[in-house]
Amino acid sequence: MNKKLHYYLMIVSFLCFQFTMAQNRTVTGTVSDNTGSPLPGVNVVEKGTSNGTSTDFDGNYSINVADGATLVFSSLGYATREVAVGTQTTVNVSLAEDASQLDEVVVTALGIRKETKALGYSLTEVGGEELSTIKTPNAINSLQGKIAGVNITQNSTGAAGSSRVIIRGSSSLSGNNQPLYVVDGIPIGNENNGSASLWGGSDGGDGISSINPDDIESLSVLKGGAASALYGSRAAGGVIIVTTKSGQGRDGFGVELSSSVTFDKVDTSLQDFQTEYGQGIRGRKPVNLVEARDNGLSSWGARLDGTPVVQWDGVERPYSYVGSNLDHFYRTGTTFINTVALTNSTGNSNYRLSASDLSNEDVMPNAGLNRKTFSLNASTVLAEKLTTSVNAKYIIEKVNNRPRLSDAPGNGNFTVANLSPNVDVRFMEPGANEDGTERTYSTNTFSQNPYFAAYNFRNEDVKNRIIASTSLRYDILDWLYLSGRIGIDHSTIRRVAVEPFGTAYKPLGGINEEERRYNQVDADLILGVERDVTDKFSVSGFVGTNSNHIKEEQLNLGGNDFIVPGLEDIGNTVSQSRSRTYGERKIGSLYGSLELSWDDWAYITFTGRNDWFSTLSFPGKTTPNDDFYPSVNASLILSDALNMPEFVSFLKLRGGYSEVAGGAQNPYSLSLIYEIFGNPIQGQPLGRVSGGTVPNSNLVPFSKSETEIGLDARFFNNRLSLDLAYYQNETTNDIVNVATSIYSGYNGASANLGKVENKGIEFLINATPIRTEDFSWNTTFNGAHNKGKVLATDDVDSDVSLDEPRTQNVRITHIVGEAYGTIVGVSYDRDPSGNIRYEIDAEGVPRAVEGERKVLGEGVPPLTLGWTNSFAYKNFNLNVLIDGKFGGQIFSGTNTVVYGNGLHKATLEGRESGLTVSGIDAATDQPFTTTVAPENLSTYYGEINDIAEHFVEDSDYIKLRQVSLGYSLPSSILKNVFLSSVDFSIIASNLFYIKRSIDNIDPESAYNVGNSQGLEYFGVPSSRSYGMNINVKF
Amino acid sequence: MKKVIYILSFVLFLGACDQGFEELNVNPTKPVQVDVANKLTALQKFISSERYDNWRANLIYQSTMMQHFATTAGYWSGDKYTWNKGYASSLLDRYYENAIKTVEDMLVQLEEEGAPEEMKAITRILRVYAYSRLTDLYGDIPYSEAGQAVISGIFLPKYDAQSEIYPDLLKELEESAAALASGTSGFGAADVIYGGDQAKWKRLANSLMLRLGFRLIKVDAAGSQAWVTKAISGGVMESNADIFYLQHDTDNRNGNGEVFLADGEMRMSKTFIDFMQNASDPRLPILSARRLDGSTATADLIGLPNGLDSEMLMTMTGEENTDNYAEPNRSIITGVEAPMFFQTYAEVEFMLAEAAERWGLAGGNPEPHYNEGVRAAMKMLEIYGPAAAIADADIDTYLANNPFDSANAIEQINTQYWAATFLNEYETFANWRRSGFPALVPVNYPGNVTGGTIPRRLTYSESEQSNNPDNYAAAVAAQGPDELTTRVWWDVP
Repeated sequence: MNKKLHYYLMIVSFLCFQFTMAQNRTVTGTVSDNTGSPLPGVNVVEKGTSNGTSTDFDGNYSINVADGATLVFSSLGYATREVAVGTQTTVNVSLAEDASQLDEVVVTALGIRKETKALGYSLTEVGGEELSTIKTPNAINSLQGKIAGVNITQNSTGAAGSSRVIIRGSSSLSGNNQPLYVVDGIPIGNENNGSASLWGGSDGGDGISSINPDDIESLSVLKGGAASALYGSRAAGGVIIVTTKSGQGRDGFGVELSSSVTFDKVDTSLQDFQTEYGQGIRGRKPVNLVEARDNGLSSWGARLDGTPVVQWDGVERPYSYVGSNLDHFYRTGTTFINTVALTNSTGNSNYRLSASDLSNEDVMPNAGLNRKTFSLNASTVLAEKLTTSVNAKYIIEKVNNRPRLSDAPGNGNFTVANLSPNVDVRFMEPGANEDGTERTYSTNTFSQNPYFAAYNFRNEDVKNRIIASTSLRYDILDWLYLSGRIGIDHSTIRRVAVEPFGTAYKPLGGINEEERRYNQVDADLILGVERDVTDKFSVSGFVGTNSNHIKEEQLNLGGNDFIVPGLEDIGNTVSQSRSRTYGERKIGSLYGSLELSWDDWAYITFTGRNDWFSTLSFPGKTTPNDDFYPSVNASLILSDALNMPEFVSFLKLRGGYSEVAGGAQNPYSLSLIYEIFGNPIQGQPLGRVSGGTVPNSNLVPFSKSETEIGLDARFFNNRLSLDLAYYQNETTNDIVNVATSIYSGYNGASANLGKVENKGIEFLINATPIRTEDFSWNTTFNGAHNKGKVLATDDVDSDVSLDEPRTQNVRITHIVGEAYGTIVGVSYDRDPSGNIRYEIDAEGVPRAVEGERKVLGEGVPPLTLGWTNSFAYKNFNLNVLIDGKFGGQIFSGTNTVVYGNGLHKATLEGRESGLTVSGIDAATDQPFTTTVAPENLSTYYGEINDIAEHFVEDSDYIKLRQVSLGYSLPSSILKNVFLSSVDFSIIASNLFYIKRSIDNIDPESAYNVGNSQGLEYFGVPSSRSYGMNINVKF
Repeated sequence: MKKVIYILSFVLFLGACDQGFEELNVNPTKPVQVDVANKLTALQKFISSERYDNWRANLIYQSTMMQHFATTAGYWSGDKYTWNKGYASSLLDRYYENAIKTVEDMLVQLEEEGAPEEMKAITRILRVYAYSRLTDLYGDIPYSEAGQAVISGIFLPKYDAQSEIYPDLLKELEESAAALASGTSGFGAADVIYGGDQAKWKRLANSLMLRLGFRLIKVDAAGSQAWVTKAISGGVMESNADIFYLQHDTDNRNGNGEVFLADGEMRMSKTFIDFMQNASDPRLPILSARRLDGSTATADLIGLPNGLDSEMLMTMTGEENTDNYAEPNRSIITGVEAPMFFQTYAEVEFMLAEAAERWGLAGGNPEPHYNEGVRAAMKMLEIYGPAAAIADADIDTYLANNPFDSANAIEQINTQYWAATFLNEYETFANWRRSGFPALVPVNYPGNVTGGTIPRRLTYSESEQSNNPDNYAAAVAAQGPDELTTRVWWDVP
């Protein structure tokens, strides 16, 4: 034994260099139904292991198993069969259609495969085709509307931007709320590499977007704490386990080709601005060039009449509507994704090697990305009882000109959206004069010529990323195993951003060179037991340990004022700055799990995990740096335990309790530190306090407890099924960045007393109303309602301030007793009966008085619904997804700004003969009615645009999200050629809103993916996409 | 079973401990403290501040309100008395998180390290300067509890009444002056303003006392006289070598200079150009040049009236654009390496002149102080470089043509003060409110928020309404509405 252990340890030390693999015996076969028709998609698992595959389109499978293995064949709606392999190499199986035995096998925490009926919690597994049919540059976006309780927001950050995925509501006030992504057993980084804020910026993309959709075999969403408790502190936001495709499941050598093209077109129908009045002020056209330039974005001019009027460049053009500038400026985006995969499965080894290229041209001119992904999954049996596997991915991603968002500087979207109806953006091309300086259209240098922003600004990055893991399992005894896994996620991002020489607001320009390195090493060691104690009672369990180590480093070089125009190099600048930031953190863990089952109808699982956090450790600190996270969950298959009426095919009750959550996210935040910064002045260095947050040296871990119960019921031979879940969770001791007055010298302070509650229900109804030999119709309706509430922030219930948009009259704020992330902004000042107060100015114009800041809405819609209909006729299939979100609000920065500059349709009222306004005169408190003269409308409406209340509207929508029409070549045609399957599909996504509450903007158009949802301000306009796919297997 | 135990203990050993975690969480890139001298250098840079607030509070608002500059650009809110809250609060938004945070932290460190009194005194003088700039512009402000989030755990500072801040600022100056002697301070060369010269700091403390003492004149004339008397007897600035200013460089840029680089919208105000034209002021071609071609010929230097948009300008003058008007002279005064002045010897001499005029102080005769003030104001431009040097003979001519006028002494002195504080608009605005001179004619642009009067203060940060609502509300209740027309305590109508 000792010798074996040494052998094992040796292997562990060389895991990273492992490559080849094998297993004991290859078993192949065909799975069919009672009538002999092949069954595709049947799970084939080696009993008691995580080794598994599924059948292909023709019901064929191939799997490497240990001697003496038992294969478990399972598929939804069919009775599960277990077949001892013995000495056979071919095992053909037929499955009986049986509703009462629905032993689907899914991937659960730590990659352990389990039968769904044993699960005491809600877990949704989706197949890779959900992500690979309709492909987007960030694959996770394809899941929007498909999984109850998973709220995905893609936002207006451009094709290379990030997504926000929130499961069962946000539970941390200041921390990250996105789920942990585990790819082939190891956690990967999903850091947001930069995002826009009120002062602008661009979205730097996220980690999950690196995964090629064509490589994904399945995706398991562990929604609640009971499902994810084994991930301990890292599971507070739920866990999404991505399993990539392997070489298992087919015999011998195979080739798969997949190719898709998607076209994106900006959806101009969303924006409905006035097109009757042109550029100008006080109801008249610009009288000269200066006035045209002084009021570059003012549409308070005269009624469009076609007469020649001078524009920003001194050229007179007809004072007429020029059409949609969105149409004129944005191009048709294209995305090509091509993947080729080689698979092989021989004897004891199998592998899958894939290469993929994604080329995107964004709708924003001159922006786009290219991503190449290389992936290798291989597994093999090294020796008797010793199995190993290797997964490695190499990703190279180049992004050209991530669009700037939010604030106007460098943000072409801002200008394009705000140009007057008579000003054609196309005349602004090229964006630069011959000498390289910007062709400005306005004296306000901060609103950019959009072509200058697109073609002359630079914002490029290249990411090289390796995600690799290897694992080893040794079966010590037939009921005892030891497995180890180590993985690394390493990326380097090299970024160059240039504000060129000649930029109007920065005439000499500047450059920033940046390099970010991210390195995560994660290692697990597990000792497990699986034993049938009696013929009815069985036990399985394991103990394990985990170490997670993350290092992040960032180097920056900044240069200002180019010396030689046109040479964009750091050395060619008058003054330079440089900085390095570094952060290192570790989590150490011990965990264990024990599952007891009785007669295959009663299951109970206990888990426990203790995590230690380096981010909560500091010399001399006396408060704990660790926390224990227990969980228990149970399931009862009532349909097996009791006699049920005939129409009940399956009925399961489940329930669980768990504690998860974690430590401080950032290292070095427990104590005050200082820094030397900038460049010396007169040779003297500069020193100051580092950072703007008041540190807290007593921080302890926070925790999130959750109770969930659920029901899984299936009727009429599985033609109708219902899955219900109710959960309630509470986060306590949340580490919160509470707001401070900036006059305290700091922007915020770390407190450890946050409390957040989420309660919700999730449902999934699946029905197959029609199922004939040639035609079937399946309909799935899912929905979730989550109610989040802030229970405490600190000892005095301070508000927690999140982001504010550039208008600065509204802010996302956590307020005790309110929903998570409320929209708090300036309201109208009203008298007790609700009439608006105005101050009447010297010209008699009523100016709306700003009232107090109050809660105007909640940024995250509590209700999400998704409805999928799938139709199959012979070899055709049609899928239609409609989704919706309800109950939330959004502050529209666009509507605010276009109110001020006279583009909003509401501002048409009164242009000809004045606008009658009634209200309360704030000076006298008496009612008044007056008429605002047309030339004063800009003052009247301009005052309203300070009132955030006016621009917070419901973000409800129902959208036709996805349509795909697929066709598979019949196997009869393929029989005589070397192809094994050919699938075509035509796809469309984000087609149109069936219903939308807010005008002019996409209700899903926040400019970043942080916790401050519900703010919109000039991101990249949303697009409709159309395209097609072809998948060929040889 | 032995094997199992063996493996189990191995599992326990391998992971899940927190060995080395304490050391791991000590930032390897940042020190736990820095030399207080490095903080002083930073503080002096923070006092000068950056483009953000110099653009918004100093130039967009105050320089146009004070009719040094004028513009047709709509976003220059001060020219037309419109309200942009973010612009108005910009000094608060930058000063507290930089200068105030640093100076409060320095005082704690100096105390802990038992630093010499003169180092504390220099730090306290800079603290007084920073707070006086804030309170003069905004009135009641967080003072006793400001910048204390780490030091005393005060996250939501109260707003102190200006009537309570002022006595404390003056007391601080008095005590600081007393603590300063001669020789070089412990800060040494890290003091990039005075090179550690204690005597200069002492004269600065008294000069600031002179300034703040005069501020009280409308609300407490006797107190004003007492502080002015005390300041003069303590010893104020004696020459342009005593000027309180920071010399910027390409790495540490003059905030105004950065604005001039990015924003070409400001023109010299007609009010200011006419003042210099009428008196044949030798500063005219140094401070201004024609936008069109940089010409500094006297005939080419025309000031733009305040409060006009381009349509009004065309109606009034037929000018299609403002290229024919004067702008700040881009070959001399607008550079990013330009000096930033905080208090000058010229200002001190003008105040001495006023003290002599009002109370017979400073020798009792205002005229030599007036003459010395004018001379200093013209000579100090040399600090911008040789091109800005004015010959003594030209100054003599100017004084001969524009002699001291004892009948209008206060107006004349303060009008010169107004000219001498060009670009340090914080001081221009404060002294204009105190003295009422020069008698600026307000504009009345459609849509202004002041009823056609020059603003009397700027407004608080919007974030205070959400982050510090109770203290904000108390301040508004005590001082009056948070508007541009509300007067600060010492600005009695």
